[in-house]
Amino acid sequence: MSNSISVHDLSISYDRKRVLTNIFLNIEPGKVIGVVGPNGAGKSTLFKSILNLIHVQSGKILIEGVPIEENRKSIAYVPQRDEVDWDFPAIVNDIVLMGRYPHKTVWKRLSKHDQDIADHAMQNLGIANLKNRQIGQLSGGQQQRVFIARALCQNPSIFLLDEPFVGVDIPTEERIIQILKQQAEAGKTLLVVHHDLSTVMQYFDQVILLNQRLIAFGDTDKVFTQENIAKAYSGQLSILQKIAMV
Amino acid sequence: MAELLEVLQYEWAWRALLASSMVGLMCGILGCFIVLRNMALIGDALSHAILPGVVVAFTILGYNVLGFFIGSVIAGILSAVAITWIQHNAKTKNDAAIGIVFTAMFSIGVIGISWLSRNEGVHLDLKDFLFGNVLGVENEDLWLTAAICAYVLLSVVVFYRYLFITTFQPTIAQTMGISVKLIHYYLMLLLSFAVVAALQTVGVILVVAMLITPASTALLLTNRLNKVVVISSVLGILSAVLGLIAAIIFETTPGPAMAIVATIIYLLALFLAPEKGIVAKRVIQHRVREKIEDEHILKESIKLSITNQLSFENLASKLDIGTAKLKRRILKLKKNGLFNASHLLQLSPEGKARASSLVRAHRLWETYLVDKIGLDETQIHAEADKLEHLLSDEILDEVDQSLGYPTLDPHGSPIPPKFGTPESPLFNMNIGQTIKITTRQLSNQVIKTLWELGIKPENSLRVHSKNDQEIILQDEDTIVSIKTDLARTINAIEIE
Repeated sequence: MSNSISVHDLSISYDRKRVLTNIFLNIEPGKVIGVVGPNGAGKSTLFKSILNLIHVQSGKILIEGVPIEENRKSIAYVPQRDEVDWDFPAIVNDIVLMGRYPHKTVWKRLSKHDQDIADHAMQNLGIANLKNRQIGQLSGGQQQRVFIARALCQNPSIFLLDEPFVGVDIPTEERIIQILKQQAEAGKTLLVVHHDLSTVMQYFDQVILLNQRLIAFGDTDKVFTQENIAKAYSGQLSILQKIAMV
Repeated sequence: MAELLEVLQYEWAWRALLASSMVGLMCGILGCFIVLRNMALIGDALSHAILPGVVVAFTILGYNVLGFFIGSVIAGILSAVAITWIQHNAKTKNDAAIGIVFTAMFSIGVIGISWLSRNEGVHLDLKDFLFGNVLGVENEDLWLTAAICAYVLLSVVVFYRYLFITTFQPTIAQTMGISVKLIHYYLMLLLSFAVVAALQTVGVILVVAMLITPASTALLLTNRLNKVVVISSVLGILSAVLGLIAAIIFETTPGPAMAIVATIIYLLALFLAPEKGIVAKRVIQHRVREKIEDEHILKESIKLSITNQLSFENLASKLDIGTAKLKRRILKLKKNGLFNASHLLQLSPEGKARASSLVRAHRLWETYLVDKIGLDETQIHAEADKLEHLLSDEILDEVDQSLGYPTLDPHGSPIPPKFGTPESPLFNMNIGQTIKITTRQLSNQVIKTLWELGIKPENSLRVHSKNDQEIILQDEDTIVSIKTDLARTINAIEIE
């Protein structure tokens, strides 16, 4: 099977401080993959390198065999929610429609077809009734649904989601994970930065354990072991106890 | 007014009107993006920074409108690049970088202009640059402004999507392959165009007013970017035209008059905007306060009426408000049907329902705070007082369920059952009828209460007697008394 993302010997430093060191990953399509590790482990940095949002100082990343700049359409990114200006004059429909932008050249207007795709995505996430609401007027869970709907509109083969469940209600979390699993069944690749170790087993087919170095990567039931978690969260005993309880 | 009509017979007046409306339109449109990108200061900076461009163009080409334009745009773009470069490469704060560049450029320009007028003996008036000279607009200025205006309009229409997404979420735009940097510099280019065109109408110092004031007004009035852009451009034109007319009538400088009109419109919106205006916000706050007050009146009324102590004096002292004010509120509540209009002071059935659901909210929440959060009994009252007005029925039902349908609150007071009217209330049964309790009840609490009273759906019961306080049911060997309020909420059927 061909790789959807391949990371070859990636290293990143900020101001001479190493954030990621010698990361190798070959990610196959059709799976929901959790990216797990303590704060400062470089999870978001890994995403930003894959998206070429930060300069990749050493190493090479290919998306479906080509550099990302040649393959922007295949990848959709859902960033952490705290980077958004909630007062911005934008309604739900406008934002979901943004997912169609990559499919339009400069001179093309958005069509009825694009609106149909957006409507479908909004229905899928149960926010069709909020279509004309300004984003700041929504709850955290509803806001996250809007951004997931936009990512669906992009119709990418790869999704990168950075902590999609933070500040989100339980029904939304359940709905989102359901949609992610459907997308994986349809052959898409989904990478999810995730904090809640107690749900890792339940949510992800595979897991990437990260702490500046790659601790482990593979099927969740084989890789998400006490030993590996201990390695990733070295010294953070409270978390280990939490896992032991699960 | 007569003067104005007279003035309008002159061609220069029409040229001035046309030029300023086009400037109002351009600045209104671009201003939306400038404001939303937190770049208001950049607009100000660019307008000041183009002066050296004018000086250099004059030295090379003499008095030439197109030369001024090109020189200004080059100076503008150079400043934008310099500002961005400092922001990215030096540890100087963003707004400080802007300040450094534009004051330096402006100073060079001012020195250049005074040098030119002293040594070359030319009539470049610094005042015209600072405050504009809209009444001196020539035909070629007008054509240039029209061309710039058309170009800006077309650009915004064509690149609207890119401007939208790079303004809202630059990171997402970048992951979609849209060059945020390119859009930024293109916007800077359009901005320099607009600033140069605005130079003659409002002048260097007040360009920023035309850029940010109409846009900020529009942002108070709507929630969608496309509407913001349209409203802002209309307000831009309006400010320019009204300002110019005012300047002609009052014989003052047009630039400042336009800025003042724009500000007046902004202030009007600030106070009167339908949702975001100060007045509207006050009205909403006032309504919420009144609603809470009314709810307290209802709640205390039902508590007092249970012990037959409901009077204006008792109610006023319980609520700690004046009797006169209380009477006014009661009058309003009578109009709304929550108090009986025919009585001096008596809750209507509807009022009772509202009141008991409030008491229920308050006591359930108190119970929740003690049982689930672990707060002390003395801490909970104020907390529950705040939340009882905000909790929705669904939340309350969940609280009720998670607590296991309690009947008493932490202080030992009864929690009223969820209020509603069953299809066939037990209370409506007549004396002597034989009845059964149905299996379908309004709430689990009713079921629980019935179970505690020992009444099961299969029992046949006879209505022995009923009065204002209670209804008494009887089967072969027992007698059960049920309070009127409870009897209203129990679903019962008559059997043969």
